[in-house]
Amino acid sequence: MSYKYYWEDFVPGQVRETGGHSLTEDEIVEFAKKYDPQPFHIDREKAKQSAFGGLIASGWQTAGMCMRMLCDLYLLESASMGSPGVDEVRWVKPVRPGDTLRLKSTVLETRASASRPDMGTVRSRSEVYNQHGELVMHMSGVGMFRRRTPAT
Amino acid sequence: MAIKYYWEDFTPGRVFDTPTRALSEEDILRFAREYDPQTFHTDAEAARGTPFGGLIASGWQTCGVTMRLMCDGYLLETSCAGSPGLEELRWLKPVRPGDTLRLKATVLESTPSAKQRNRGTVLFLWETFNQNAEVVLSMRGRQMFLRRTPAPTAQATLEA
Repeated sequence: MSYKYYWEDFVPGQVRETGGHSLTEDEIVEFAKKYDPQPFHIDREKAKQSAFGGLIASGWQTAGMCMRMLCDLYLLESASMGSPGVDEVRWVKPVRPGDTLRLKSTVLETRASASRPDMGTVRSRSEVYNQHGELVMHMSGVGMFRRRTPAT
Repeated sequence: MAIKYYWEDFTPGRVFDTPTRALSEEDILRFAREYDPQTFHTDAEAARGTPFGGLIASGWQTCGVTMRLMCDGYLLETSCAGSPGLEELRWLKPVRPGDTLRLKATVLESTPSAKQRNRGTVLFLWETFNQNAEVVLSMRGRQMFLRRTPAPTAQATLEA
């Protein structure tokens, strides 16, 4: 199988952006009942009494949507080999029912693997914005990708 | 639910253990189709041909299960007021269908809010283990909690 993007295709400074993905109240409650059943994620009435003033999405659902947008943006067409992790995850603003999210992904740094000539890593910053252009979440993550041409 | 733990109860070194939760193949596929449709998360056949040697859960689903374990273990009985974020998140080992996960939460640091007298922040180390006692995920991050007793005002401190 050949891919559109290999490690060599990620260059520091490159920016990729998606269109909008929206989130309904039902989707927020369904996710939260399974993974994050805090009252301000599952109970509209209790959420109104909370500091958030209404129902908000679990930060993990926002992270999941960020991942989905990364997949649609380039990951599914890339020679991805997974990820060891992410740093500096920040939930900056609540995500509410009806919000439409979009992603801006910026390549920060690329490194050839010291131990594997067929692989390299890419550090990128993901920023998720709502329909008002407000930053709701950001994080910096590392992805491992196969090289088009192994190092010699 | 009654609040059992306030900010004051999270003292450095304190450990919270949780019950377990199992993850089925169906759970893994359902999450991945929606949030992380990479082949090694959505297609058991194709996953065999990858370096993972079989279907594995999306790392974000492991985060979700970790969050759920946190809720089951202590969070729903606390005065939690949300989280500003995580410093570090590591996926250390793949999670596979049938794995049973549990969480250990360790309080690393506790800081009163500089601005709001009625709350404080707690820095945790969260480690998620599988049934073979291997750490599959670790994270360091913060949660905010209301205080049982608000901090004295600067004026009150001066008078005391």
